Amino acid sequence: MSLIELKINKHGKAINRGIDTLALLKSTIPPALGNFRWTKDLILSTYYQALMGEIPPETMNYKTGASGGGFDKLKFDFTESVSYDSISQSEIKLSLELNKRRNGKSLTIQQPTYGGGMSFGSVSLNFMLARAIAAENLQTLTCTGEGGYPTELFPYSKNIITQVATGLFGVREETIQKSPMIEFKYAQGAKPGLGGHLLADKVTASVAKMRDSVEFSSLFSPSPFHSVYSVEDHKKHVDWIKAVNPEALISVKVSTPKDVEMVAIGSYYAGANVIHIDGGYGGTGAAPEIAKKNIAMPIEYAIPRVHKFLEQEGVRDEITLIASGGIRTAYDVTKAIALGADGVVIGTAENIAVGCTHCGNCERGRGCQIGIATSDEELSQYRDLSWSVERITNMYKAWKKQYKVILAQLGLKSIQELRGRKDLLLYGGK
Amino acid sequence: MKEFEKILHSRENLSTDIPLKTPTAEGEGGCGVIGLASSSLIKGKHLKKAIQRMLNRGNGKGGGIAAVGLSHEDWGVDKETLEQNYLITVAFLDKSIIEEAESNFIRKTLDVKHEGTLKLKISEELQVDPPLVKFYFARVNEQSLSNFMTQYELEDKQKAEDEFIYQNSFTLNKNYYEALGEKRAFVLSHGKNMTVLKIVGHPHQVYEVYDIDEFKAHVWIAHTRYPTKGIVWHPGGAHPFIGLNEALVHNGDFANYQGVREYLAQRNIFPLFLTDTEVAALQFDLYSRVYQYTNEEIIEAMAPTTERDFLMLEHDKQQLYKNIQNKHLHGSPDGPWFFIVAQSKPTEYAYNLIGITDTSMLRPQVFALYNGEESIGVIASERQAIDAVLASIASEDNRFSAKADRYWNARGGSYVDGGAFIFSVINRNDKKKLICTNKFGEEITPIAKSDNKELDPFIKSIILSSNILGDVEATELINNNTSIFQLIESIRNLNENSLDDKFNKFRLLSHILDRKHLIPNSFDGRITEILETTINGILDEFPIIGEKQKIVKIDYDSRDNLIEPTDNDQMLVYNVAKFQSEGVESASRQLVEIYKMGWKKVISYNWEGQRFCGAGLGPNSHGFELHVFGNPGDYLASGLDGAEIYVHTSAQDQVAQIMRSGKLVIYGDVGQTFMYGAKGGEVYVLGNAAGRPLINAGGKPHVIINGTCLDYLAESFMAADPLRGGGFVLLNGLTFDNEGDPVNLPTSYSGGNLFSLAAGGAIYLRDPYDTVHEDQLHGGEFIELSINDFDLIHQYLMNNLDLFGFSVSTEKDETNHDVYLKAYKKIIPLKNTELTKH
Repeated sequence: MSLIELKINKHGKAINRGIDTLALLKSTIPPALGNFRWTKDLILSTYYQALMGEIPPETMNYKTGASGGGFDKLKFDFTESVSYDSISQSEIKLSLELNKRRNGKSLTIQQPTYGGGMSFGSVSLNFMLARAIAAENLQTLTCTGEGGYPTELFPYSKNIITQVATGLFGVREETIQKSPMIEFKYAQGAKPGLGGHLLADKVTASVAKMRDSVEFSSLFSPSPFHSVYSVEDHKKHVDWIKAVNPEALISVKVSTPKDVEMVAIGSYYAGANVIHIDGGYGGTGAAPEIAKKNIAMPIEYAIPRVHKFLEQEGVRDEITLIASGGIRTAYDVTKAIALGADGVVIGTAENIAVGCTHCGNCERGRGCQIGIATSDEELSQYRDLSWSVERITNMYKAWKKQYKVILAQLGLKSIQELRGRKDLLLYGGK
Repeated sequence: MKEFEKILHSRENLSTDIPLKTPTAEGEGGCGVIGLASSSLIKGKHLKKAIQRMLNRGNGKGGGIAAVGLSHEDWGVDKETLEQNYLITVAFLDKSIIEEAESNFIRKTLDVKHEGTLKLKISEELQVDPPLVKFYFARVNEQSLSNFMTQYELEDKQKAEDEFIYQNSFTLNKNYYEALGEKRAFVLSHGKNMTVLKIVGHPHQVYEVYDIDEFKAHVWIAHTRYPTKGIVWHPGGAHPFIGLNEALVHNGDFANYQGVREYLAQRNIFPLFLTDTEVAALQFDLYSRVYQYTNEEIIEAMAPTTERDFLMLEHDKQQLYKNIQNKHLHGSPDGPWFFIVAQSKPTEYAYNLIGITDTSMLRPQVFALYNGEESIGVIASERQAIDAVLASIASEDNRFSAKADRYWNARGGSYVDGGAFIFSVINRNDKKKLICTNKFGEEITPIAKSDNKELDPFIKSIILSSNILGDVEATELINNNTSIFQLIESIRNLNENSLDDKFNKFRLLSHILDRKHLIPNSFDGRITEILETTINGILDEFPIIGEKQKIVKIDYDSRDNLIEPTDNDQMLVYNVAKFQSEGVESASRQLVEIYKMGWKKVISYNWEGQRFCGAGLGPNSHGFELHVFGNPGDYLASGLDGAEIYVHTSAQDQVAQIMRSGKLVIYGDVGQTFMYGAKGGEVYVLGNAAGRPLINAGGKPHVIINGTCLDYLAESFMAADPLRGGGFVLLNGLTFDNEGDPVNLPTSYSGGNLFSLAAGGAIYLRDPYDTVHEDQLHGGEFIELSINDFDLIHQYLMNNLDLFGFSVSTEKDETNHDVYLKAYKKIIPLKNTELTKH
């Protein structure tokens, strides 16, 4: 082993050991971990799930954070719940069909969530690969983000969404043709009105090559698509992707402005299969705090508005509504679905599964010191690929168990039956 | 009080019960717009064909048309009645209120000279029944007018009568039309010598529903709407919207609808239909009729001149514009928008068609002008729609041409031309005449025509350079023909002994088409028309696919017969007519099929605005060669990665987006966002690029633009150093004079943003008279060319010479790099900018 390999080996193992220890820590919890949204309990219980693939013990609050609102104040009304065993959990269906239109190819995922876009450059190739392999194992999808489609991901192309974002980095006909679904990223809930950005230090030689840009020079994607300033431009944009890959489903990722329902219906009429609304509170440490917490509408408000509006317009059953932005746990996922979403996109929770502490240091310098949100070659190797795959897969396994527990208690046979059942939610209280 | 203050004051009681803060404006989306103005009366059906070609810009939830400068016969009145009376057209959604509405708003206060009902053909295609339309030629009766004048102390009778009509319609609308409530009737139009019709449907259906295909007018506008909200629609929300003597259509939306509303409310103007287009129309009416602003002042109030453009204006103009901006800047529409206004000038018996672009050129727009025995100006969202309307007119009337003499894009608020153009139909010597002026009132002079001129000997060198005919044959052709038209005809009629001969004819004519800019007087649209029609005629004659011939043809009807080529040299002629614009049956998907079958060389023609030509070929399409004739639509060559595409005409918007490699040659102009996000490729453009070319492009694109760009060229450019295998844009800043010689544009680049925030790559700017300055760069710097730069650009300029047949330098010695050093500047990114900080 070379010196550098020894170093990677040593640091990588040490970090993994630390994460595992934390997950199983019985008594004193490290005081500096977490924040109101991602509490210590949520981070540690995610570690636990990623390690064990099981529902965490009730000694941890793995269901809600401490933000004092939104998902953290919503809970399921189990008062009229059927007995735990009356519905066999094996009967419960968790799959989600993403193409609800009458024409076109079917695309079914076996859990109600898929992975959100994190670009090559913002996160390491190793982490992208881990997400892709986990998506393949779980029969769901993950997304390239806007930094291009590294060839290493090609073997998993059936499970990878190609994102077309405003910078058009790494978007090629080849990668559009490979994907079962193309995602237009019009905006990100964590920073609406701002394009993606990647600061100079993270634009390493391989990142610059993938993006056809200049090494170690910051990249700022334009805030809008320069070719899309109105809905008929968007329609044309969709038609363009369909001219390149007629079979691809189209997902439109937008933030949650005050007229989010207009955007949703516009996207539907322009031919989208999936409308993906991204509320505030999501995003990595690269998104400015002030933007994350103050611009987009919280997703808990946006989901029911869009759901209801699409129902009124009579098109609700022809479009898949996907929500994201601060959805952290299996409980958040089911609550989002009860509010009216068909499914959910997960980002940060997958990072946590591989050891992220939510420290927020994703953007500066070489990025994440434990090797997730970094493009540095050495740091990237701190996370072992197969270890990461297992962690992400385990987390979702544990989540699936929780979905089934929840659905069984509510007397529902499939996750889709839960959609729009706001009546099953209570607000407030402990 | 001044007269205009009295007028605004007289509206005070009209709208006391309208809340200032309204529910948000309707979800307005994008649209397709078109307008024409001609010295001759034009039938409605011609515009219909063009708007039909832009169906994909609307969704059938709103279509409308306006006509100005009508034909009195169509309306069953004499000329004087048409010109002297207000033509009030009312849409009745609820027929039961006709009598009541007439008695309250027509009979009581107006003298009706003539009235009628438009024929109504209910179409099953329409989801919402079109309204019944009644029209009244009327004046305000003496009693009502004098009462009105006395009440508000108005002195000018004409203005008072205009205002009376305006308020009368407003009150009718307020009574019978609530945007959020019951909708029973509303006034479609009330100006003189003009009308508006609109329905829930596509605009071409307006012509069918009201049977107005044969109706004639000097000015037409049409609009297809793409609203995004709601299942239920009503015709009142469709465009055009009216002031008094003008109708306005709009593509885009305002970010400051509420702000403009408040601005209007301060002047007692209250919109009733809740769309941003309505407020724009009201604003136009305010400036034009109440404030009596000139067109220049109106345009400045709506699209203010700012930043560098303002600084470039002369002092007096700055003073005037400053005053206008001080008064109206907070009312000017903000965001992406493009207006087309049709205006009647009843006192002058004249009509205007006005196109106004927003200051960031965020919406697509093309202007075109043809001057001939009769003249016509057209404005549209897409160039292909302009050609569709011209072709439709020319097919019935040979005083027109199927191609315009010139086409151009505009940049709103530009100091060069103001970014807005006015086509005016005026009276001169008892005849209608069309003139086109820019915002500053400078006339776009008609070009010299090629009729009855001697054939320029230079054409011989063009013919010889094609290497198809020998010197003797070429000389013979030149000597035997006295005009370019005859020459084309003679080439068409050359003897054909084989398919090769036919192909050579095609090659020769397309070579002349590619060199057209070098032919004196070649801006005459008719030359292009004749050349293209002749080329199409020859291509039509190739044998249909299936025959064992060197060149075979495929068209819509034979599309299922597509087979593999017999060998690599077999050529395919592809007639694109009738294929869809997008979707599985589209022209572009058919092209992908052709490519996948193994065809290596394809000549496509009859493009009718179909989009995505050349998209979808996939990676490494090297060795595929495509030629394009006709009117290719948006997104041409987007994603191109290897193939070569030769566009023997102009292209539209979004050309070569994310292009990666390959070669693209455009014998004309390109539209908006040319090569957005492109990563490579070798690209030559004969003419101009519109707004935002090469934004966010990186890698190694090698691009020559021989004309100029409107603005934002190569913003965030991030190509590698061109001297180390990276990318560049070479901008020549040229145009061609009437003799076919390249000449410098007044400035090589007029926009205020050049190479902004660029991180890498370079621009080679030909600017021999030093017209582009530091203040246009934002993060770039000028440096002198090195000998290595010279070597690099020399090879591309030689290719440029081969392709377009002209040299950029008037100096004889092309290899002398001093010539380049004097003419060109290099722009590179400033070092140590914000981009490398962290």
